Amino acid sequence: MNKEQQFSEEFINAFVDDELTPDEKAQAYARLGDDVLLNRQVCELRKVRDLVSLAYRHVPAPACSTSAIAVGHKCSTAIAAGLALVVGGLGGWFLNQASHVPDNAVVAQVAPAAEDPAKVLFHVSEGNPEHLKTVLDEVENLMKFYRQTQQKARVEVITNGGGLSLLMAGISPYAERIQRMQKEYNDLTFVACQNTIERIQQELGLQAKLLPGVVVIDSGVAQIMRRQNQGWAYIQV
Amino acid sequence: MDVFNFLGRTREAKLKLEQHRQRLYRIAYSWTHNAALADDLVQETLAKALKKSGQLRDPNAGDAWLYSILANCYHDHFRRLRTAEEIDENTLTHESTPEKESSEQEIVLKVRAAIARLAEGQRQVVTLVDIQGLSYMEVAQILNVPIGTVMSRLCRARYALKDLLGELAPKLAAEETKIRRIK
Repeated sequence: MNKEQQFSEEFINAFVDDELTPDEKAQAYARLGDDVLLNRQVCELRKVRDLVSLAYRHVPAPACSTSAIAVGHKCSTAIAAGLALVVGGLGGWFLNQASHVPDNAVVAQVAPAAEDPAKVLFHVSEGNPEHLKTVLDEVENLMKFYRQTQQKARVEVITNGGGLSLLMAGISPYAERIQRMQKEYNDLTFVACQNTIERIQQELGLQAKLLPGVVVIDSGVAQIMRRQNQGWAYIQV
Repeated sequence: MDVFNFLGRTREAKLKLEQHRQRLYRIAYSWTHNAALADDLVQETLAKALKKSGQLRDPNAGDAWLYSILANCYHDHFRRLRTAEEIDENTLTHESTPEKESSEQEIVLKVRAAIARLAEGQRQVVTLVDIQGLSYMEVAQILNVPIGTVMSRLCRARYALKDLLGELAPKLAAEETKIRRIK
């Protein structure tokens, strides 16, 4: 393929998927250096590929997950057959006692295979340094607990009002600790309220600078409500 | 016949097949967007694979072999239902769920809805390549089509997805203005 020829769309896709021969790949790289359009095409195709992959990283578990290979694969049938077997096999006096046994067996069978992460939000609205230390201690203890028990968890620390001082650069007494925690725990997010930032600016004339990695949301209260609607546990410290 | 050896081999095959369940389920879900149906298809695939495990000569071909059984189960299922239901005409409905509030989850649902709108052949190719990371050659073997067909389906699927998702871009950008990360 000479320089004047356009690459076919299949060729560009094959480049994105690393399906080209070394010679073809070299041609593509040579062209990428000065072809803006081609660069954009490759970029867009990679984005589509990543989105498809992302969309199915966590798929919903079936309502009744089958944990072992069996010829009959309808859960309801399997459960009914299991119950019938238990009831038929036992009998008489034992029938009364058996009511717990099949119940437990069914619960174990229908328990979801893929666990959802625990979702916890801490709401901080006071800026007392001792209080802020307690907040960080509690958050860190919780993160350690989830790590030790190998549970997935997402934790958000939402600050508004006086609590915003926890995340303000030059003001927070625990800036280094927060940065260390951010590095140590990927699923921990510190969130600042935009309304509070604006209020500080209006009332005190201060431009609030935040610590690196802090997420700003429109309203702390609105974020708390959104998270609660999404099933997050709320803890006010 | 060495019964113990036979039983041992069967158990080993069963364990190996179980390890594939999650990957098969992810692909089955991406084709059907129905958790119960995907689970049924995977179960049927594994049951058939276990039954035919003696026929597999090359153990390295296990992945592609399982996906080809899954593809056959999928086609058989919809061949039976074709008069009643056309899967490609289905659109994913976004029921109001708490997760919908989250922007990440919203993007996930939109991508899934876009994939559900693809033609069946395109959907199968794009999911096997992008989710499972299979090569074009492996996908051609699984779906029993020439490699050129895999390439053209993949190409059409990706450009269709780009267009479908592109329509959503302005809305997503508008929503992003509310939330930003300060470095």
